[in-house]
Amino acid sequence: MRKLFITLGLITAILAVILSVLPLSNLSFIPAIFALILGVVALFVSNKSGASKKIIQYIFLLTIISLVFATYKSIFSESEVVNTKELQEKEVESEQEAIDELEELNIEAEDLEDINLDE
Amino acid sequence: MNRITIALIFFLSCFVNAQNNAIGTNEKLVFTASYNMSGILNNLAEVRMETSEVKTSKTTLLRLKCTASTYSKWDHFFKIRDLYESYVSPISLKPYLYKRDINEGSYYKAMKYTYDHKTNTIKTLQQKKKKDGSLWGENKTITVQSKTKDIVSTLYFIRTLDYNNMSVGKSNELIIVFDREEVKAHITYLGKETISTVLGKLPCYKLSISTNKVDVLKGTNSNIIWLTADANKIPVFATFKIAVGNGELKLKSASGLRN
Repeated sequence: MRKLFITLGLITAILAVILSVLPLSNLSFIPAIFALILGVVALFVSNKSGASKKIIQYIFLLTIISLVFATYKSIFSESEVVNTKELQEKEVESEQEAIDELEELNIEAEDLEDINLDE
Repeated sequence: MNRITIALIFFLSCFVNAQNNAIGTNEKLVFTASYNMSGILNNLAEVRMETSEVKTSKTTLLRLKCTASTYSKWDHFFKIRDLYESYVSPISLKPYLYKRDINEGSYYKAMKYTYDHKTNTIKTLQQKKKKDGSLWGENKTITVQSKTKDIVSTLYFIRTLDYNNMSVGKSNELIIVFDREEVKAHITYLGKETISTVLGKLPCYKLSISTNKVDVLKGTNSNIIWLTADANKIPVFATFKIAVGNGELKLKSASGLRN
């Protein structure tokens, strides 16, 4: 039983660390909480049986690292869009092309006032 | 004489309902698109909805432009730079030209619709990128109904509907042409609700959107949009169920409003 809790705790703690360095860092809180719970249970079982607690310390260490990293990212990293030069150029180019195409369509000012009464 | 007056009032009210009194010519709305997993939000992209005037030699049209760009933290994993445009009548929002240019990771697709309202047809051109980077195009003319609109003009058109005189539960049918296919959408008015927005706590019209094309949006009442219950009827919040999980669209800033 102790081994199971330690294994699951380690897996969830490692998953939390991996998620915390990815853009989905907010999601690392879920495995981190599971890792903490599993770590506490493993610690409780180890205390009862008098077994070594060294590996459990690693679960807590990894969990704390992931929590610190994810919290830091959620507070200090701003969501911003960069590298939109290409898109802006495309917008200008597309508008110019559209004007040429609209000229070919020969839309009169009266057409615009033709309101569809079905709507 | 009375009958003529009543008929006149009826026609005038139709004109008022269909006219655009909500959308300005220099409007700029910025949204944050997030993915919601177990209540934890992850910001994915910035969505911009902008309007501007476009002048041709004979008339002036309204350009409705929507862009979606992933935040920089996502660019290394999955970069999105999408551009959607619709050139519409500034009065009735009747579309004349629609363009879609999507750049998602290594996937590229462009679509162009040229409307012919006299014959109720749309000339379409779809372009995709080959493996060697060159483009190949496919022309197709499709017959549509007279009130068919593209996705962008529909998004703006729902802001011109009169919700004040609409009873709760009333459903409006809209026909959207997407990927060269007509999709029936239903906008159901769910009543008024006050929600917290970037512009403050505002009373909003709550609308549900459902389509007959199940792979576009999942569920029927899971796709909700809130429009401010004022003359501008700007979309401030939207939740939608997608193939995996839930998405949210939240207004970040608004400028150039008409009223």
